[in-house]
Amino acid sequence: MFRLPDHSWRPLIAGLLLTTGVQALAEPLGIGQAASADEIAGWDIDVRPDGLGLPPGEGSVMDGEMLYESRCASCHGTFGEGVGRWPVLSGGFDTLTHERPTKTVGSYWPYASTLWDYIHRAMPFTAPRSLSADETYAISAYVLYLNDIVDDEFVLTQDNLASIEMPNQDGFFLDDRPDSPNMRCMKDCANPEQLEMVGTIGGITPVGHFKQGADAPAASHEAQKALEEQKERERLHSLGIEVEAPHERADSELSASALAGREVYEAACVACHGSGLAGAPKLGDQADWSPRLAKGMDTLLKHAIEGFTGTKGVMPPKGGRVDLSDEQIMHAVAFMTEKSR
Amino acid sequence: MSRIIRPQSTAELLKQLARESEDLSANDRRDFLRRGITAVGALAATSVAGGALAESAGSTNLPPNEPSWSRQLGHGVVEHPYGSPSRFEKNVVRRTVPWLTAESISSISMTPLAELKGIITPNGLVFERYHAGVPVINPEEHRLILHGLVERPLIFTMDDLMRFPSVSEIKFLECPANGGMEWKGAQMEALQFTHGMLSCCEWTGVPLKVLLEEAGVKPEGKWILAEGADGAHMSRSIPLEKALDDTLVVYAQNGERLRPEQGYPLRLFNPGWEGNTSIKWLRRLEVGDQPWYHREETSKYTDLLASGKARKFSFVQETNSVITYPCPEKPVKHSGYIEIEGLAWSGRGRIKQVDVSFDGGVNWVPARLKGLVLPKALTRFSVDAQWHGQPWLLQARAIDETGYVQPTLKQLRAARGSNSIYHKNSIHTWKVAANGEVTNVQIT
Repeated sequence: MFRLPDHSWRPLIAGLLLTTGVQALAEPLGIGQAASADEIAGWDIDVRPDGLGLPPGEGSVMDGEMLYESRCASCHGTFGEGVGRWPVLSGGFDTLTHERPTKTVGSYWPYASTLWDYIHRAMPFTAPRSLSADETYAISAYVLYLNDIVDDEFVLTQDNLASIEMPNQDGFFLDDRPDSPNMRCMKDCANPEQLEMVGTIGGITPVGHFKQGADAPAASHEAQKALEEQKERERLHSLGIEVEAPHERADSELSASALAGREVYEAACVACHGSGLAGAPKLGDQADWSPRLAKGMDTLLKHAIEGFTGTKGVMPPKGGRVDLSDEQIMHAVAFMTEKSR
Repeated sequence: MSRIIRPQSTAELLKQLARESEDLSANDRRDFLRRGITAVGALAATSVAGGALAESAGSTNLPPNEPSWSRQLGHGVVEHPYGSPSRFEKNVVRRTVPWLTAESISSISMTPLAELKGIITPNGLVFERYHAGVPVINPEEHRLILHGLVERPLIFTMDDLMRFPSVSEIKFLECPANGGMEWKGAQMEALQFTHGMLSCCEWTGVPLKVLLEEAGVKPEGKWILAEGADGAHMSRSIPLEKALDDTLVVYAQNGERLRPEQGYPLRLFNPGWEGNTSIKWLRRLEVGDQPWYHREETSKYTDLLASGKARKFSFVQETNSVITYPCPEKPVKHSGYIEIEGLAWSGRGRIKQVDVSFDGGVNWVPARLKGLVLPKALTRFSVDAQWHGQPWLLQARAIDETGYVQPTLKQLRAARGSNSIYHKNSIHTWKVAANGEVTNVQIT
């Protein structure tokens, strides 16, 4: 066992500790590399209300209309009214004090920069960061136009974006809570005569896992959609129209190309083709797919790669994922069509 | 979705409760609880308890028989290299309410609070909130860039970040929309859906302050933009004071690396603040001199008041509490002794006191705090009681160390209206019926 011979060694030991690695914190530790201007530039995508961060570029309302139709309308609706439960983008002016306010870009958002920043960082939902700066200016201009904030001749640019005044820009104030003081009272804190009790609305919570026989809705988004589709089939049935329920083919029946397409489908196609969003043919829905299949695989593939506007909805080029190769799209189309035959 | 059951007056029930409790002196409180308020319904309760016993009658696995599992061997080590709960616990899972959102990719799920013990949420049960789904990130290719108004813009690998001195802290995580479906009326028929956007873990990582010192914040730096590597590139502006106070850059939860759902391999963590500020899949921190007013701090996560004006940067999750047993998922099955349990939490610090009411908030008794009482963490409380089938309107009311007392629903609505969506932290009520069934009600 090691033993200190006498106390005279102690200062030496302390000195050794300092030179052998005890770090005085609050000094930089020298961990990490210097970030290069290039590395920062590629990721530094944020834009502020004063326009800081906006890249050079421009886009007109007119250009924006075409882009909006192909990239945005399938979820947000042709006039920004929102499809299903997807966000409403326009209107709702003067509803903020109503019982059911409609919070849109026009009625609620305080700054136009937020619109540009969000479209550029996160939209289209299925293909984030796929829009160029000019495309983002154009779509932003069009959404502002849908909200009567700019006219149809307007061209949005790096220089004029920060000067756009949004209708609700003064509608916000800094957090000033606590705002609802209560006191600790232990006895006779309320007059029972004046209390009112409101019961729970029945049938809108998925409680099937603990309540037997409950009139409960579906417990997953998939089940919810299946339920809504089943109700629709029953409605059609009552009108004498028979629609076959969707049923996906088993993987064992799929070609190698189709199997190779599953991953692409799950990353790039499922948001629309998994749900039938905005007229997209739904995976496994034979009734949905058969008229498309009748056009022939070449046409189907061409529409998938180049984009297509049909009577039921819009297929953006490669579903908005222009980073995908034609071959990947081909596999994804094989996956969806084979699953849905 | 807007069917509201119109007030069914509770005056009669409450009058009865009040009359009974008036007969008791203040220090008779425990006796009052022990006796219960009325014997009405005791028979019904007994039959529930009897039913539970009858269920397992006839099983050959009960004494005096030797159960089947004691007469054979079980599986060996590493049969399950990463273990999972008993298959009998398959009901203990996260759940969602599908009609809340358009898609599961941009949606929320809730923690099954009724099933949990203590204050730690197991990693697989922490509630989920995604804006563009869960990205699959290779940690070797993940980078954190720290730039903006700093002396030395830096880029870190995961290895770099794990070399910094680390801290581990138990903190709650809550979505500000927790309870948000209940502003206009009681809607959700289960604790999981009224309060389940809430979890609590031990988080391990580096204080953001340490990283900021490494880069050297310039004097004009006042705000920090945090950005995720998910498809939404989720972003929030964080004031520098918070970053220098207790913000963490986290890579582990409950002893293991972050789950993908929680931001693997790296997330921000702002203790006590609304969950969305704790940016997951963190890839970038930029120091600036003013906030960015991005979508998630303007269009969303702002609190619209009755005046038509909206509160912005409402970061703190104010003091809140809820009774977790009994609750709709866990009705009262036995007459006699019952330990009423719940969770309380405050984004401003420690929980100091929790009180429980049996009569819809007319009279209150103090609860005891159990186990660890940590700042900005879930805190468990309980009250011993006797139940003999008497109807209860159960409430909990938490008080934190700043003296803030959790408000009533009436007070909160008076201050904010009912379109705020976020930050609904009012006192919650469970109605316990004579048969032990528990339902969600609102008392105003």
